[in-house]
Amino acid sequence: MIAFLRLYALQAGAAVRMSFADRANFALQVAGMAVNNVVFLTLWVLFFAGFKSVGGWGFADMALLLGLTMTIVGVCGVAFGGYRDMAASILRGELDALLTQPKGLISRLLARESLATAWGDLAGGILVLSLFAQVELSRLPLLILALCAGLTVYLSAAISFACLAFWASGARSFARDLTDFTLLFSSYPGSIYQGAVKVIAYSILPAGFVVMAPVEMLREPGLRSVAIVLAAAGAYAALAAGLFHLGLKRYRSGASAA
Amino acid sequence: MTSTLLLSAPVEARRAASALLSAFRLGAGQTLAGWPVLVGRCIFYVILLIVLSALWDKVVTERLPGTLAGELPPGGLALYIGVTEWITLALPAVHLKLEDDIRSGGLEPHLLRPKSYLAQTFSQSFGAAVVRLGALGLTALTLLVVSGREPPPLEAFAYIVPLGVLGVIVGILLYALAGLMAFWARRTLPFQLVIQKLMFLLGGLYAPVTLYPPVLEAVAKASPFAAHLYWPSVQAIATSRDGFLMGLAWQGLWITLLSLACLGLWRAGLAKVLREGGV
Repeated sequence: MIAFLRLYALQAGAAVRMSFADRANFALQVAGMAVNNVVFLTLWVLFFAGFKSVGGWGFADMALLLGLTMTIVGVCGVAFGGYRDMAASILRGELDALLTQPKGLISRLLARESLATAWGDLAGGILVLSLFAQVELSRLPLLILALCAGLTVYLSAAISFACLAFWASGARSFARDLTDFTLLFSSYPGSIYQGAVKVIAYSILPAGFVVMAPVEMLREPGLRSVAIVLAAAGAYAALAAGLFHLGLKRYRSGASAA
Repeated sequence: MTSTLLLSAPVEARRAASALLSAFRLGAGQTLAGWPVLVGRCIFYVILLIVLSALWDKVVTERLPGTLAGELPPGGLALYIGVTEWITLALPAVHLKLEDDIRSGGLEPHLLRPKSYLAQTFSQSFGAAVVRLGALGLTALTLLVVSGREPPPLEAFAYIVPLGVLGVIVGILLYALAGLMAFWARRTLPFQLVIQKLMFLLGGLYAPVTLYPPVLEAVAKASPFAAHLYWPSVQAIATSRDGFLMGLAWQGLWITLLSLACLGLWRAGLAKVLREGGV
């Protein structure tokens, strides 16, 4: 396990160094994303200045949700950047070369790219969490748990969407769209979703488990909320691994969607 | 010599218009040919509207005392957002086309041709935008019927459509500005992101700028971002002839100024390419 993590760290490190290669471009992309996040946050500041709360959610709750979302997307982009276009890698047949290598296939796909813009998300997320989210220091372990669980669900969902490429040739943009839809659902107060939309947010596009359940866990910690967050992370990780290996079996048999 | 010039000017103008029309048709045709992408965009539009109307419906239902909720129209802001997103999602990624052509050297063959590359690119993007406006507009109307919401007065549609089309032109010009930065920067994404977020904030993507604090409202209303989104969209919740004319005036002003800015950037960038031989 340690050897595997060490290998992953080396691969991801190489990808990060590659993203640093063009310094000016890197700085521009990070700055662009930072401005993007500042404006998005400003919109919510204006919203809560005018309307105080929505469905019981105040600005601090929204900041916690946004901080979690930005940090999760930031960490994913920096350390697991290959997730963003994994479907394209599958469709282009890039698995062929990786199949001959000894260690994990999913990890190699994830570690092959690091997104410069993600640093802007990561920095923004940490700032928002520390300045506006009003999370007590005693809840830091829970915050870390929330981030890890949310990251697992988001990444697992993205991998599951990318797995569609094993079966459908048009899956590239569709997989990205589904990941973006999940992100979209993750950027609004959880209290606004009702009925069928809420079911979608807690299943197909699991924004509910990426950020909303973790926010609930941080606001009202308890065995039940922790168990829900952990169980969701485990379930989505298992689903992603299962789908990937099912797809890989089909890929190995020579069936290609491309 | 003078008479030849006088005679050839209308012919030249006709040929230029014909070339622009061809580029427009090409853009429209390409967008129609990529219909699965168009359908995906319409689905995205529906999902966006579901999420955003859920937000505003909640605010309107609660109507917390001492907040701006009292200033919202009875039906909430679903119609307003329907129009802002209609325009936003109709915008083609003209900045990416410019970036690709400028960075890859694909621009050079165009410079030998008699027609303006910039005008042709703009026209092609506009063709794509018009098809998207049509498809998204039909989606919006269907959604309006299905949702059972009270539609805006009939007169509003007569105002929203021309303002929406002009709003898209403002948007294309703003994105073109970002794309033309490719003469100086390797990736235009940061510029596009900044412009896009200013569209969201000062354009009033999620809420009319009239809900902002007075200073920000004044700045926003006078900005090109309001000409892009606010002026067309406000007609859905506060239909008025005066508002329509005001919107037209702002859009006319910004289309002129942004066209000049694009032309200025284009000339400066082109001079750089011709002087330094590539980017």
